[in-house]
Amino acid sequence: MNNQWSSPPAGGNGGSDAEVNAHLDGLFHAYRQACADPEPSVNFMPEMWAKIEARQASTTIFNRMAKALVTAALGASVVMGLLSASYTPPPTSANDGSILQALANDHAHDLEPLQIERISELEQQ
Amino acid sequence: MLVEFELLQQAQRGDASAFTQVVTAYRRRILGTISRLIGRPEDVEDVAQEVFLRLYFSLDQLRTPEVFEPWLYRLTVNASYDYLRKSKRRPESRMSDLSEQQVMMADAAAGSKAQTEEGEKHRVRDTVQSLLSSVSEEDRILLTLKEVEGLTLRELEKIYHVSENSLKVRLFRARQRVLKSVKGVTRRRGNSASSDDGL
Repeated sequence: MNNQWSSPPAGGNGGSDAEVNAHLDGLFHAYRQACADPEPSVNFMPEMWAKIEARQASTTIFNRMAKALVTAALGASVVMGLLSASYTPPPTSANDGSILQALANDHAHDLEPLQIERISELEQQ
Repeated sequence: MLVEFELLQQAQRGDASAFTQVVTAYRRRILGTISRLIGRPEDVEDVAQEVFLRLYFSLDQLRTPEVFEPWLYRLTVNASYDYLRKSKRRPESRMSDLSEQQVMMADAAAGSKAQTEEGEKHRVRDTVQSLLSSVSEEDRILLTLKEVEGLTLRELEKIYHVSENSLKVRLFRARQRVLKSVKGVTRRRGNSASSDDGL
């Protein structure tokens, strides 16, 4: 095995740039040789397929839940639409349909008769 | 490419045996890349399985054969990056600790011709991983892909979807940081050697 990595450039200033660069290249080269591609274990494939199936199962459950949620929301929207379409407000007896009558009914409490006693009280104050 | 595009198309259509063949063709290469990117042998298979899981669920997006390998690399890089980000078990890189460790390892290696080859490999791995811990996860991965995996800038462009110039800048900066660590080690080593001479 290449042993150049174990002898870094000597010297108090850490060696020249070229030397240090060459030393680093040697280190990387030795590292590549020291880390050969490992052999996969016998469980590699079974474990990988188990993970794939687990991920598929969780995705399926999530998809089903999402679909159920969407269906429920659609159903609720349709029911609410039908209800609002079929709803007609009950006619009020005091309202014969004209706008003047409706305004008069709405402000009926403003048109109470004046109370003379109360006005005289105010005048005394 | 290690597999025919027809096989990929079969896998795209949901053929499990075709997908198994694709995984079998690429798994050793992917395992090797991940082992050098994350530096943790015990978790390499987990990360590789995550890569193939992502491949399985996104394979239907593949349209042309030439993008398959850069795409697989991209999935590998993303899964490794996610792993490194999640597992903050890596020791923080402090220059003083790093230097101490490096000095000890370099000294031990220099005076040990009788060391086994396996021991040397172990030390190389420790040394490079310590040096790479002085840069961010992104830069660590980029530097490893370029310097250790030997990918070209053109291949990196396809993986990262960034311009060659910005890749060059990032690589230069990352390398400068690692070089600074190496210089720190050698400076420290030189100082300790001179103080030993003085005694």
